[in-house]
Amino acid sequence: MKIIACMKWIPDTSEAELTIASNGKDIKKDDLDYDLNDWDRFAIEEAVQLKEKYEGEVTAVSVAPEDAEEMLRECLARGADEAFQIWNDAFEGSDGYVIARTLAEFVKKRPFDLILTGTLAEDDGGGQVGGMLGAMLGVPCATLVSQIEISDGKARFRRELEGGLYEKVEMELPAVISVATGLNEPRFVSIRAVRKVASVEIPTIDIDELGLDENQVGLAGSRITVENVFLPPEGEGAEIIKGSVEESAARLAEILKEKGVL
Amino acid sequence: MKNVYVLAEHRNGTLRDTTWEALAAAGLIAPGLGAGVVCLLLADDVTGMAGKLVQECPKVIAVEDPAFKTFNSDAYIKCLKSLLKDESDYVLLMGASNSVIDLAPALSVELDASMATDCFGLEVKENKLFALRQIYSYKINALVSFKEATRILVTLRGGSFPFTPTGQANGALDRKDSPISSEKFRKTFIGYEEAEKGDVDISTADKIVSVGRGIGDEPDMDVFQSLADAFGGVLACSRPIVDKNLLPKYHQVGTSGIEVKPKVYLALGISGAFQHVGGIKGSPLIVAVNKDPRAPIFRVAQYGVIADVNELAPALEEKIKELKG
Ligand SMILES: Cc1cc2nc3c(=O)[nH]c(=O)nc-3n(C[C@H](O)[C@H](O)[C@H](O)COP(=O)(O)OP(=O)(O)OC[C@H]3O[C@@H](n4cnc5c(N)ncnc54)[C@H](O)[C@@H]3O)c2cc1C
Ligand SMILES: Nc1ncnc2c1ncn2[C@@H]1O[C@H](COP(=O)(O)O)[C@@H](O)[C@H]1O
Repeated sequence: MKIIACMKWIPDTSEAELTIASNGKDIKKDDLDYDLNDWDRFAIEEAVQLKEKYEGEVTAVSVAPEDAEEMLRECLARGADEAFQIWNDAFEGSDGYVIARTLAEFVKKRPFDLILTGTLAEDDGGGQVGGMLGAMLGVPCATLVSQIEISDGKARFRRELEGGLYEKVEMELPAVISVATGLNEPRFVSIRAVRKVASVEIPTIDIDELGLDENQVGLAGSRITVENVFLPPEGEGAEIIKGSVEESAARLAEILKEKGVL
Repeated sequence: MKNVYVLAEHRNGTLRDTTWEALAAAGLIAPGLGAGVVCLLLADDVTGMAGKLVQECPKVIAVEDPAFKTFNSDAYIKCLKSLLKDESDYVLLMGASNSVIDLAPALSVELDASMATDCFGLEVKENKLFALRQIYSYKINALVSFKEATRILVTLRGGSFPFTPTGQANGALDRKDSPISSEKFRKTFIGYEEAEKGDVDISTADKIVSVGRGIGDEPDMDVFQSLADAFGGVLACSRPIVDKNLLPKYHQVGTSGIEVKPKVYLALGISGAFQHVGGIKGSPLIVAVNKDPRAPIFRVAQYGVIADVNELAPALEEKIKELKG
């Protein structure tokens, strides 16, 4: 089984203090650490586990700048057989449509049974590249997927609905599956595992090799224009309890008592 | 713009709230765009639901087919494509639900429409549509517009467009033949699987101590269980805690977990993503502990402490025990 796993390299913003860039259209990213999108860690793990179960090959691919090579190397250490990086500075500012289109061009040149993506990327919160890619390739797709089993050229899995409900679905391959977090336990990557793949070449693919030109990617090729970004208004907000840990804990306990919930 | 379409979403023969919220959103933008509002209902049995929709929407297009008994994106795409293929100058709205996340991206490609997902605000300025979204772990707002604005697809965040029924629309019902001819889809629904039940039911708890990713990679869960015990409450969590198998799924609060309505909700190391916060709307008192003063959770909490949860939790347990005597 040939599996292609799409990996996104994103700034880790969950704990950082964010400031708006001077053009007002993005945040300042220079001081942020970048990492593999959390959902994609589950996608690459699933790809490798499916390969281990059903035999085959895993290809990791990312549309990402040079620095992302370490992420793709981590994917190799996790068990991918090959990895490709697609980049040209013209990609800066691409929306999900451009990324899906680019990945579609990359995939068209290689046979596959299954493409795995995360359901959502935590930077743009788009939740769209997987489904768009499926439609562009003319294959079915499903999101929020866990418990994947393959037999007779079909994938059987469950999808997460609201309120803890799942739906069980069967889908013909080839297909795109966007995974849900928690569907597996991503393995620990040892330094030894990374060293083992240190010399594996990770080819970089430029846009012309994919038959795209600069006007079809980046801001120019995007369908969505970001007009401006801003920090959400503070609103009422919480009353912040100040002091040492000891003092805050004491105050908090008092408040709980005053509110009659202790 | 000619039309603002709303896709009706339903499960087990009942319209979901997302439908009404999308209708509310359509009502907000249609006047500025000079457009009419049309609801699209695809169902295995349309009569009952169409009857409800015409009370609130001036026009309802209904297509009946057994294929629409469940929300199979393959069947939906096929039908929506046939309904809208010759149209342009429209906006199509739908709720950003777990069913729609399976449909909208592929549909946008099939319809050749520009798409913005999970929008919590919509504005029209000089006939042009703008949408508000959240990016970067839900910490930044972004105002976006649509470059090719003749066909637009927008999915709407739950709870962002409150709907008040009027019952006055007296809308027209237009039944159309199904374009689906007993074909097999590449994707088939097998069945529903109910949530696993456990030894605690957080949905009925009065006091909840809830932990999130902020408790660290290898947390000592006993610290938090012990705090919950001292407090007389139950332990719950955000999604990443379940993903890491630190607690079973029936402890997860949120849109894909369980909705809770305790008298007090203590959120420890939880950022406050909307899928999480969506599950605690029913709680009158939310207290958050987080080391990031800008964490979105502080916008819904009444009280906040900026601290390391692993230090605060044991200290709070002490104080609670003291006060309880
Ligand atoms: C379709 C869908 C459904 C979803 N359903 C759910 C759901 O039902 N429930 C749910 O919870 N999520 C759900 N999510 C995921 C949701 O979007 C968030 O990713 C998740 O809620 C984040 O969990 P968190 O707050 O624990 O982690 P993070 O967002 O990583 O936040 C961790 C927080 O801890 C703080 N922190 C870090 N270290 C410390 C410390 N030492 N002391 C104090 N604070 C610290 C950080 O500042 C940060 O604010 C869903 C997502 C999707 C797309
Ligand atoms: N630049 C990219 N390169 C490779 N895969 C991507 C890229 N952007 C998004 N993806 C994949 O698409 C999924 C959904 O992303 P998004 O639509 O941005 O929320 C991610 O989890 C990735 O698997």
